Amino acid sequence: MFNLAFDNFNEILDMDGHGIYVWSVYLIGISIIFLSFLIAKKRIVDIQKKINKKNASS
Amino acid sequence: MLRLVKAESFKLSKKLKSWLGPLLIMVLVLIAFPLSIDISQFDLAKFYFSIIVVSLLMTSFVATEGMFEEDFEDGSLEQEFLIEKDFYKLVLSKIFVYVCLIGIPIAFIGALFSFANGVAIGSFASVFLLLSLSNLLLFNLFAFGNALSINKGAMLGVLSSLPLALPIIILLGTAVRSIQFGDGFVAIITLMTGIGLLMSAIMPLIISAALKTHID
Amino acid sequence: MITAFIHQFSSAKSFVNITEKLYPFFLIVGVSMLILGWTWGLLFAPQDAVQGNSYRIIFLHVPSVIFAELIYFFMAVCALMHLVWRVKLAAYLIKSAAPIGAMITFMGLLSGSIWGIPTWGTWWQWDARITSTLILFIMYLGILTLHGSFSNLEKADRLMSILVVIGVVNIPIIKKSVDWWSTLHQPASISVSGGSSIDPSMLYPLLISVIGLGFTLIALGILSSRSYIFTREKNKKWILEHV
Repeated sequence: MFNLAFDNFNEILDMDGHGIYVWSVYLIGISIIFLSFLIAKKRIVDIQKKINKKNASS
Repeated sequence: MLRLVKAESFKLSKKLKSWLGPLLIMVLVLIAFPLSIDISQFDLAKFYFSIIVVSLLMTSFVATEGMFEEDFEDGSLEQEFLIEKDFYKLVLSKIFVYVCLIGIPIAFIGALFSFANGVAIGSFASVFLLLSLSNLLLFNLFAFGNALSINKGAMLGVLSSLPLALPIIILLGTAVRSIQFGDGFVAIITLMTGIGLLMSAIMPLIISAALKTHID
Repeated sequence: MITAFIHQFSSAKSFVNITEKLYPFFLIVGVSMLILGWTWGLLFAPQDAVQGNSYRIIFLHVPSVIFAELIYFFMAVCALMHLVWRVKLAAYLIKSAAPIGAMITFMGLLSGSIWGIPTWGTWWQWDARITSTLILFIMYLGILTLHGSFSNLEKADRLMSILVVIGVVNIPIIKKSVDWWSTLHQPASISVSGGSSIDPSMLYPLLISVIGLGFTLIALGILSSRSYIFTREKNKKWILEHV
């Protein structure tokens, strides 16, 4: 069950010609998830700044 | 209830654009399509019914556009709420009047064009029945979209209710296939009647809740 | 009693306090399981006899599609809570979950579309499940647009909840579409009641990926709902103290 399914690094990248589809899906997927986290984090920081500013002024 | 039906029929019949517009659009789309393709190359009868279905979707949306907007703007909705404490009867009679005055004539035009173009999916009556039932379902759904968007424009209504209408189009496609293969017509009509009655009973409740939110 | 219970545990303040502590747990467990599941699936799981290596897209595609539907279901439960018990937090959660739902549905559609090239020889097919997932994606966008169209946010919350509850009818249609209509799609490989038709060497990494993506999305949901709660409740005293 835990044997590597490929013999070398090139085979991993190529995946019998399917590598371009497989790796592009994972690359896009990871990027979308990562970006979503970044956007959410940025929103929290922005709103916290706004609230802090309001706090300070009042 | 009869009072509301009478009032709604009177209001709609006075608005020429609202009832004649959708009928003319239906006719124009059904005429425009054969003109846009080379009919000597294609067997029009094969896919003409799909054009009827898409036109039905489009015109039923155009027909219900602004269904509640005028009542909302001129305060009639609020007044109705003060009298009835609910919009159920108002919505039910509005949909009933719209289906009778616009939906059924649209279905008739669709059946007529399907018959005239030799679409081989059964008799005139069966196509008319199928399209009328589809209109009943679509009018209920688009009335819901209109109640949500009320005075925020047609685009919002489409975006909110069109995804819900797509399963009906799929069902209609399935119905056409089963009629073409000569089986299941009664079953499909029964199913659509059932869904239609259920929707006509439930949708006014939901639409009423949406309208109440607007006047709160 | 139910109402009292719901209101006690559904204040935005207690939600923010509880989820603040849970966030690192979900993030760390989720990302670790995703790394494990995807590494196992991409490098160690055996090649599929029919589809070759292209099947490895399953480890991202299937979890995405599962959560595309589950997030909508979660939103529907929240919408009911908002409509029946007027729980404000429920509306906040719907508004925060909808973009995540749209994102994950898009991911499911995109991965399926790319998977279609080596398997079916085409990017897009008017196949039942793909079409119904596309409808789900449009529904997510519709919900977001509807909420964004009203300046009165309480009204927007209620209308959005009504739309979400009505839209939930589409979920069983999506779930059953593969069985009901003639389709190119393979039948569901895993079933809660009927076991699975997939080999354990492929099933385990798939299950780990599903759980991993679930935890990661919960972490993302916590983050996004916190930012939305902060925005909506920015004038409340507890927010000023909290931030």
